[in-house]
Amino acid sequence: MLDHILSILIFFPALAAMLGFVVHKESMRSYGVAVATIEFMLSLWLWYAFDSTASGMQFMEQIALVPTFGINYIVGVDGISLFIIVLASFFTMIGIASLSSDTKDIKNMIITLLFLQMTMAGVFAALDAIVFYLFWELSLVPMLYIIGAWGGPLRIYASVKFFLYTFAGSLVMLVGMLFMAYFYFQATGEWSFAILDWYRLILPENFQIWLFVAFFMGFAIKVPMFPFHTWLPYAHGQAPTIGSVILAAILLKMGTYAFIRFSLPLFPDASVYFMYPIAVLSIIMIIYTAMVAYAQKDVKQVVAYSSVSHMGVIVLGTFALNVEGISGSIFLMLAHGVVSGALFFLVGVIYDRRHTKYMSEFGGLAHVMPRYATIFGLMLMASVGLPLTINFVGEFLSLLGFYKQSHILTLLAGTAIIVGAIYMLAAYKKMFFGVITKDENRHLKDVNKRELFALIPLVIITVWLGIYPKPVLGTINTSVESVVSLMHEKAQTQEAKMRIPNINEKSDSAKNSQGEAH
Amino acid sequence: MVAPANISIESLNLMTLVPMLIPIIGALLILVIDLFKSEQDRSLYVMISLLVLGVDFVSLMDAAGVFNKNGTVSGVFDVMLIDGLAILSQFIVVGASMLFIPLALTHKRFHEFSYPEFFALFLFMIAGFQFMVATDNLILIFVGLETASLSLYTLIAMHNRDKSFEAAVKYFTMGALAAGFFSFGSMVFYALTGSVEINKIAEVLSANNYADIGFVLVGVVFLLASFGFKLSMVPFHTWTPDVYEGSSAALAGYMSIVPKIAAFVVAMRIFEFLIHSGVVWLEVVLYIFVVITMTMANVWALVQTDVKRMLAYSSISHAGFVMAAILIGSTQSNSALFLYWVLFSFTNLGSFSMLWISRQKNLPAHQQSDHSYNKFAGMIKTAPVAATIMALFMLSLAGVPPFALFWGKMYMISSAVTGGYTILALIMALNSAIAGYYYLKLIVYMFMKDPIVEDSGHIYSANATLPLKTIIGVAAMGTIFAFVAVNHLLEFITAFVYNSGY
Repeated sequence: MLDHILSILIFFPALAAMLGFVVHKESMRSYGVAVATIEFMLSLWLWYAFDSTASGMQFMEQIALVPTFGINYIVGVDGISLFIIVLASFFTMIGIASLSSDTKDIKNMIITLLFLQMTMAGVFAALDAIVFYLFWELSLVPMLYIIGAWGGPLRIYASVKFFLYTFAGSLVMLVGMLFMAYFYFQATGEWSFAILDWYRLILPENFQIWLFVAFFMGFAIKVPMFPFHTWLPYAHGQAPTIGSVILAAILLKMGTYAFIRFSLPLFPDASVYFMYPIAVLSIIMIIYTAMVAYAQKDVKQVVAYSSVSHMGVIVLGTFALNVEGISGSIFLMLAHGVVSGALFFLVGVIYDRRHTKYMSEFGGLAHVMPRYATIFGLMLMASVGLPLTINFVGEFLSLLGFYKQSHILTLLAGTAIIVGAIYMLAAYKKMFFGVITKDENRHLKDVNKRELFALIPLVIITVWLGIYPKPVLGTINTSVESVVSLMHEKAQTQEAKMRIPNINEKSDSAKNSQGEAH
Repeated sequence: MVAPANISIESLNLMTLVPMLIPIIGALLILVIDLFKSEQDRSLYVMISLLVLGVDFVSLMDAAGVFNKNGTVSGVFDVMLIDGLAILSQFIVVGASMLFIPLALTHKRFHEFSYPEFFALFLFMIAGFQFMVATDNLILIFVGLETASLSLYTLIAMHNRDKSFEAAVKYFTMGALAAGFFSFGSMVFYALTGSVEINKIAEVLSANNYADIGFVLVGVVFLLASFGFKLSMVPFHTWTPDVYEGSSAALAGYMSIVPKIAAFVVAMRIFEFLIHSGVVWLEVVLYIFVVITMTMANVWALVQTDVKRMLAYSSISHAGFVMAAILIGSTQSNSALFLYWVLFSFTNLGSFSMLWISRQKNLPAHQQSDHSYNKFAGMIKTAPVAATIMALFMLSLAGVPPFALFWGKMYMISSAVTGGYTILALIMALNSAIAGYYYLKLIVYMFMKDPIVEDSGHIYSANATLPLKTIIGVAAMGTIFAFVAVNHLLEFITAFVYNSGY
């Protein structure tokens, strides 16, 4: 069974969703929770069976799809994708569990979420560009439906904007993929869309640059990088809580993950060439969205913009192009998923009670809802990057990585943490401290069991991985090292050879010195 | 004194005529049945047509076997030319017709289906299309084209509505103009080369090194215009939305597939050698045609308020997309054309059939037209299965993987990439993104708006019967599970296209 565990992880929720049409509406929530729990257990089993000392792909499966044209269903995981898959199934589980039973059309919602889980697992496990593209595009459809059917007043505009923006970017990416396959065909005489095959292909720098741009269009819109970020505030603003949670926690990570999976190892020279422009874009994204967040009246928008801001740190870490930066950015992806997911949950909690998200409507909530205020405070501190919380590890490593490339830009990015602290603390002050100004707020109920079921695990992860990140970070590191050494080997320009550190040299010299010692 | 012609029957290779003769015989049979005992139920005619088409399909499989073994076969004084293109396109013509004809068995009575002439004309039309693709003789192409078109005009007019007559007359006028252009273009080529066979024309022209390039261009202009009409290229497309709107949804879906594949094959035969011999002007004009057709049709489709008109513009855009294959002119692109069209026929016939089963006799107050967008508002609440299937077809048309049309789109864009048309590949990709919007609009109406009339679920399948549901089921299965078949289809098509030298 372990041979096919990835396929099971991908298609089990889809199958369950189909069968879900038969389940009665009253029992749907229990069914959804049961299925998602099984899925989560499977993903934990995957983690358990994963050999964290090996750097290559594990649990690979290959089925011919269109072999004439080099398209095969190939899946596999390494340390980079493993934890995102676990995180995705985890969020699907707590997401479904936290749905209140008076959600309208709960059956459709749960079926959609299960389909979404299939596409998420598929994107992160796919090792064939077309299969990757297939799940990548397919993930838009459930999200479109979630935003469009359960969202706020502007939901249709928001969902269509989300879909079209991402769809347009992905089609440019598809052209890039077809070019890549064509170059592979020219070099070897065979069509192939397998990413591992592509890794072996060395392209001239000017080709790399064009292809990098084509892929960048798809990824940057998904992340979303400045200036392509305009769809995100709408999507978050209109989406129901569950939609925002999954969007922020998992779907955005597809973009940053794809940078590490495609852009860096395929186009090392172009990555170096574009390192500074992208770093500048990320820093604009970090600082600008932080300032926008400060100006918001709506607490959900604050969380949304802070989420974009932190995505900037992730991209910055990725384009540090060294092991610290990339490992840090992958860790930050997980951290950001946990923390911003939790924050969206928390916003959802108060929205369920008051049906408003304006901070001016609240104030003094700490007196009425002490447990809620505590959890919110903790998550907020994590989001700001307080040491000993999960975000700190990722942010620190990402910035450390980029510090090796450029001191000034890193310092600029570092200020974002301070700005982040300002707007987050200001928001917290407005909502929780002071006297209660509105009568409606006097008798709000504190978080109930159902909500705690979603929140407590997130709190535990936040603190646990903040204090002891090794079990996750070690595994990530092993895989990232192999990516960086591949990049170093493939790099052709002098600049790239210099920017991308040579890991093998270090380990070689370490081995040599060991040899001498013996 | 002329010596008596002495021709052996074997050299005529009459077997090449069999696939065309089958529907003709079938049509005559239907007329004969009517002669002896009229007022039969339409189900009889549907089933006879289906059987005839089935036999036709089998004979095509036979022809495909012969082609696999012996390569291209010609017959009847070299007028018939059974090569890979002819066989592939006939497969599409007959296959799509087999999916179409059971749509006549609707729940509501539409009087055109009670006439046996409808089915006889339908079979004559298929024979016309088959002749058109299975020859490289300009005269026979013309005869086939006219047989098919005249039958089609009548079929449209038989749908007894005001707009149907308008549609038929409009189509007839435009078709007549196109026929005129075609014959004039052929005349120019005949005058230049003394032959009406495309391969001879190509030989003669390349032998004298395109000395009369001016006249060649005149001929090309006329042929291009005539194909522009038939393939609804912008700016010759103006008839398309009106004709589609006027004819029944099922026939409109049929018209977006079968006449076009026949025209594509002829265009491929004629323009292929011209492009490869370096008539740069033609390349530029085709490039402009392709880009404008794709883009403008997409833009017009954005503003439609009726789903059928939207689908009409969308099918123009798809035709422009596929026309790129003829411009690129490589084996890969020509294979992509057939792959695209096979997958497109499933999806497009499916979506038009979905409109067909929701056809009402009388318009309710909130609808301006038969299939206005707001008719589909909130369909997920009242008819969830139908809404899901319709959404499936829309996603496939938009090119969302893994549904059918994605594979065609991908292979087509890849052929542009391979052929060195990078900008074209990008334009094709971006057009798919524009097109995403109007397909999405219908999904938005179905899934995200509230129904205008409560409990209106029955109208979405008011016209449905078991045969119609079966056809839609087949189309939906073909759309979902295309990825299983794409590999075989691609191998089959590539072998056929490659072996016929395109």
